[in-house]
Amino acid sequence: MLITGIKSRPVYDELTPMASGLRHVAAAQGSGGEPLLRLLGEMDPAQLAATTVLYSIESFTGRNHLADLKKHQVRDLFVFPTNAEAVRGLDTVLATAQMGTRLYLSGSEGFIGTSMQVATSYGMNRDEVLREHAGSFVRRVWCAHCGHYSENVTRRVFQCPGCERNLVVRDHYSGRLAAFQGVKADGEVPGELPEDEELDT
Amino acid sequence: MPAIPTPTGFTLDETYTPEGEYRFQNSREAVRRLPFPFPDDEYMYSMNLEPHVPAGDGALRAAFDIDEHYVSECAHRAQMLRDMPGVHYLALPHMLEAQWDLLELIFESYNRDFPEHFTLTKNGNEWRWQNRLLGIDDSFTFGDPATLPMDPMEYATRQAQGEFVVLEERDNTLVIGAGMTTQRADYSLQFNLGMNFSEFHGPVPKLDKMGILDRALKFLLRMKPGHPVRRVNWSLTVNPRLETSVETLPDWAPDRAKVTAENAGEMVHLRIELQPLHRLPRSNAIVFPVRTYLVSLAELVEHAPDWAKRVHRALASLDHELADYKGFHRYHAAAVEWLSQHDDGAPLATGYPWYPDGIQPGNS
Repeated sequence: MLITGIKSRPVYDELTPMASGLRHVAAAQGSGGEPLLRLLGEMDPAQLAATTVLYSIESFTGRNHLADLKKHQVRDLFVFPTNAEAVRGLDTVLATAQMGTRLYLSGSEGFIGTSMQVATSYGMNRDEVLREHAGSFVRRVWCAHCGHYSENVTRRVFQCPGCERNLVVRDHYSGRLAAFQGVKADGEVPGELPEDEELDT
Repeated sequence: MPAIPTPTGFTLDETYTPEGEYRFQNSREAVRRLPFPFPDDEYMYSMNLEPHVPAGDGALRAAFDIDEHYVSECAHRAQMLRDMPGVHYLALPHMLEAQWDLLELIFESYNRDFPEHFTLTKNGNEWRWQNRLLGIDDSFTFGDPATLPMDPMEYATRQAQGEFVVLEERDNTLVIGAGMTTQRADYSLQFNLGMNFSEFHGPVPKLDKMGILDRALKFLLRMKPGHPVRRVNWSLTVNPRLETSVETLPDWAPDRAKVTAENAGEMVHLRIELQPLHRLPRSNAIVFPVRTYLVSLAELVEHAPDWAKRVHRALASLDHELADYKGFHRYHAAAVEWLSQHDDGAPLATGYPWYPDGIQPGNS
């Protein structure tokens, strides 16, 4: 057994307008549209006019909030077909961001985590960023043995597409890699797998 | 390159890998000088921090201990760094000041504690470093990375026993900023880099419940330069394998299934971790060194029979969740059964062996 007794997970915030912000950048994915809509609803017109929204319609649960997002009078609304493209879009937006920019992230853990990697690369501090989890708790998993990243992992035990080993997902999350840790599930005796389960249900 | 004279008292051809057939053993002296980590018959997880002042004439005499395995351990480090670049040594970009702090701390300590092997000569910022055990004689400018062949931390820790994790203080917590970790016990530096104190302790069971983490962090944040503290920790490892990282788990975990009550004495090694923590003066970072000692259960019985009895009792009464966390659930019973043949149940002293009344190795 490799996993009993291990307890850790990112702690998320609730999106709410940061009064100290001069510019606001809000990036969301799928179900993350819901907290994003709540955030925009709490902003005053001046804040909305200083807000850039990025939204990815890729969703594990099939939720799409684009129609409602379009009803808000924000400065810019950029829409992306995939989460990876939205994260690249965030990189482009932050590249020209000025002091006083505040960042809001919502959606899956993988989306929030990879967006945080971008924010960190621009030196943004945690007190300049709010993160709210939304939707299913699918995980992004890093294979400790081959380095492959698997998106949307839902089972405790799965096969790594990179090295084809059976991996067990440890409840241990790295903000730097924006992923949970996957290690060989039958490391001690080949074929002797730990009990599989659905993650976080 | 000048020929390196063979130092006496050092074993040069040891290996810590299956490819090298685990050619490793301890002399009687090496066993009896260990920082033996079991003060009581019953083991309880605790921070057990104490001032890191010289104690006894064993592993706690120096600020950073070296022993007969120094040369072979440095060679093993070089091999691991060559085999898996970017996995065992990492430093975040803003850690350079802390790197120089650490180089100074290690070199000054070695120079003071082992003058027969190391000499540090300072002329302002122009430093000369002589390491006679590894045949190194280098001059460089302290604070100027261009005068060294690699990062200051990598340069210094390639010449040091034990692993080194540098923690930076940020927002009232300690964050992993750099590490030289070729001897990791089942964790990943790539994964843990950038984590704060509670995040990297996340997998340790029971810690939070006991409030130990909060108290330890508060204590560490109050640390001042020049007042190091230490603790000892331990685990078990199958074979004398130093590198047991998460990354290479497929290579070493199968060995855990090979232990039996018959072979446990040779296969199972007590893995002792001496952790002398220092606050670094310029960067205000804290260095968390893990000096790892491996000793087989059979070597303990042969050279330190009272310590073997103590290990038997501590393991026999160990909490299952801790055995699971430390990774020896599968062969826990086999190790206890093998040790039981060497425990007559006689009462043993309590306290660490570096204290006058503490448990001594005993005589066989």
